[in-house]
Amino acid sequence: MTCGPSRWSGPDTVSYVLKRLGQTVLTAFLTILTVFVLLRLAPGDPAYNYAPPNPSTEQLEAIRKQFGLDQPLLQQFWTFLSNLFHGDVGTSFQFKQPALQVVMDRLPYTITLAIAAIVVTTIIAVPLGVWMARRNNTAPELGANIATIAGQSMPDFWIGFVLLIIFAVNLSWFQPSGFATWGELVLPTATIAILQIALISRLVRREMVANLAAPYITVARSRGVPERDLTWKYAFANSAIPVVTALGTRFAAMLNGVVIVEVVFKWPGVGALVVDALQRRDFPLIQATVLVTVILALVVQLAVDLVYPILDPRVRLGEASS
Amino acid sequence: MNLLKVNDLRVDLMTTGGIVEAVRGVSFHIDRGETVTIIGESGSGKSTTAMAILRLLPDDLAVRAGEAQIAGQDVLGPRTVINKLRGREVALIPQDPMTALNPVFTIGRQMVEAIRIKDRKLGRAAAQKRAIELMDAVHIRNPEQQLKAYPHQLSGGMLQRVLIAMAVSTDADLIVADEPTLALDVTVQAGILDLLLEMQERRGVGILLITHDLGVARLMSDRVYVMNRGEFVEGGDVIEIVERPEQAYTQRLLAAIPELGPWEDPALTGGAA
Repeated sequence: MTCGPSRWSGPDTVSYVLKRLGQTVLTAFLTILTVFVLLRLAPGDPAYNYAPPNPSTEQLEAIRKQFGLDQPLLQQFWTFLSNLFHGDVGTSFQFKQPALQVVMDRLPYTITLAIAAIVVTTIIAVPLGVWMARRNNTAPELGANIATIAGQSMPDFWIGFVLLIIFAVNLSWFQPSGFATWGELVLPTATIAILQIALISRLVRREMVANLAAPYITVARSRGVPERDLTWKYAFANSAIPVVTALGTRFAAMLNGVVIVEVVFKWPGVGALVVDALQRRDFPLIQATVLVTVILALVVQLAVDLVYPILDPRVRLGEASS
Repeated sequence: MNLLKVNDLRVDLMTTGGIVEAVRGVSFHIDRGETVTIIGESGSGKSTTAMAILRLLPDDLAVRAGEAQIAGQDVLGPRTVINKLRGREVALIPQDPMTALNPVFTIGRQMVEAIRIKDRKLGRAAAQKRAIELMDAVHIRNPEQQLKAYPHQLSGGMLQRVLIAMAVSTDADLIVADEPTLALDVTVQAGILDLLLEMQERRGVGILLITHDLGVARLMSDRVYVMNRGEFVEGGDVIEIVERPEQAYTQRLLAAIPELGPWEDPALTGGAA
């Protein structure tokens, strides 16, 4: 792009980012409020999860008191908020250490997996989608089309098990679980990427087919612009916004933990952690996970929005995008 | 050698209901400095004829038979021939200037690209300078500034001037103008047509003009072909056709032009309308 950063300089951008950050805080607050209330409305008593077998009423009472669950709901929320204000998200029931610390310890694993998956997805899905658009209605394109439909139809836990059986059990190329060496990143990444490649390549194909039929392509072709430039500088440059939006949304979702894939591959990430915390009714840990992942997701969305004016000069920050 | 020579061109339209003959054997030629107009209502096949010559037909249209030569080269054979001619020997001025430029790049970037397709050895700075000269030639004020603008920041008339400048930048001897004023305000139309005539006078290009507007045809053309249902029903000198149409279809086309009669305001004369 010829004039990148200048498109979002000036006071408009500053006030836009501040406004968006304010929205982020509000969204995070409402999400955490909802989760806080829902957790306590749900049937079941966390005290049982942390009491010895056949607990007495006194033992249960003591645990509730220890966790602060004996207080009225409003009181509990107020305590939570005032602690949050001081950077304390609470102490995990099961790990007996700050919940935020537990989440932060797991977060790098999830971020690593998410980045690996989104990079692999982009590198494969974009050229694949562009190729399918250029070869639209030909036999090879039909084959790719069927393959991507299959890719988006297979459930991820099933793909995970198939990959495990072939590459870890039968071929012994990779360790089946955990994250000790970089090699273990391959199978979980592939499991996530297969579905994402199928979805994103079909989106790229659809956008490209529409843009390749646009009048400005015909007019540029009449000027003798080479086909490769028509594909990338014309059609793809105009397809970029929906593609980047989709990639951003997918990436944000992956940061929330790729629950099933993390469980299948025993990946020590946030997704596996939140499943564990839910089973053990570890309220502070669940709240900390939600808080961190919501903020991450919102920051990624903000980053995507800030890229729009670079991709398309018609987009102005703060206005509804076309 | 004619600039453009078309002989018995036939184009088929593939539909789910079968094949429709969109162009049914048209023949004509254009020489240097000449404007030849194909006039007809929408769906008559006039734009299809032009696009077939440029090999820019959409997938559902295909040339079935006939010959077309630009500068003596057969453009209906291998695609490499027309690929070499586009942007060098032949240029297109499109129907709707508002959708004819890449929305995400500046006018300047697209003009420089067009200039450098014609002249690969030209450096960026030199191409930029040439772009400013061309913008000047099509009477665009503040060309330096306009080159930095994006297509959505310019009006339709302005964009059509840019597109004419781009067509001129190719030094093409043949310009295909496909309803060049269709999408423009009436007040802007005259300016664009004047500009086309000026460019023709200055450079002696041949123009293939596609229009449904008899007024435009009369102003611009040396020869005119009246097209209906994929065929030329009548053709010849523009004055002849307008003053002494032989075919019933042409007569009806002429009769369809609204005329300014005497103005009688019922409010003034007191009578009911």
